[in-house]
Amino acid sequence: MANVLIVDDSSTMRKIISRSLRQAGLPVDDIYEAGDGIEGLSALGDKKVDLILSDINMPNMDGLEFIKQVRANGNSVPIVMITTEGGEDIIKEAISSGASASIKKPFTPDQLNEKLGGLL
Amino acid sequence: MTLNAAVQEATHLREDDMARHVIDATKEVFSTMVMMDLEESYPLQESVTHFHCSISGMVGMAGSYTGILAVHCPQSFALRITSNMLGMDVEEMGDDVNDALGEIANMLGGHVKMVLSKGGMDINLSIPTIISGEEYSINSMAESDTVVVPFTHEGQRFLVSLKLHKE
Repeated sequence: MANVLIVDDSSTMRKIISRSLRQAGLPVDDIYEAGDGIEGLSALGDKKVDLILSDINMPNMDGLEFIKQVRANGNSVPIVMITTEGGEDIIKEAISSGASASIKKPFTPDQLNEKLGGLL
Repeated sequence: MTLNAAVQEATHLREDDMARHVIDATKEVFSTMVMMDLEESYPLQESVTHFHCSISGMVGMAGSYTGILAVHCPQSFALRITSNMLGMDVEEMGDDVNDALGEIANMLGGHVKMVLSKGGMDINLSIPTIISGEEYSINSMAESDTVVVPFTHEGQRFLVSLKLHKE
């Protein structure tokens, strides 16, 4: 069973992602939430996280900077972007910064299962 | 109300084409995230600038194109949308409703951004803005550059508007 950190400035979207993870039947134990990259980094400091699901467009610290900071801290946890920002160049930058994959909003539980099944 | 001529020329999209993108994206967002099937009634017959007991979620675009994607809906319908998204009864306007409407505007803005920019780096989306109240008006200095699509669900009506300019 894996612990998942959801980083998204929308509390609604965090709840939808959390519910979808359960509905998809993925082997998820604890789910932690953060409202931006800064809160995400803080959560990583005191929690055991096996997978990060992160938005890109967020206040204070966006998803791209968050990935870079996570990797700069030497953390190799898989990071999957869940975002409306599905442009090719943005996804390329996310992948080159250390993201493993991306999922476009809106999404279905089946799409989460397909993208995340191999990472959990 | 129509799509700005410079936008039509740059995107090779007519107003009907852009409206179709808005319709398809809105239906997809509502069917997957809100669990509601929508009917569209495009085009809008009359301009709507004054809202009563409503809420508007808006996302700005800046870069090679500038504009605003907005969702305007009655507060009673916004409560239903939020309840469906959260999977729990929401009976009062507040942070949950603001966040839900903002996220819907964000997803629709992201879709429009993808239509305008395949790479995605030349247009930035703002963090969503919310307006709500008993009575309010939203006026644009260039109302004619706006595409507005009305939607209905079980008798409830709401609007999605897209105002665009080419920079």
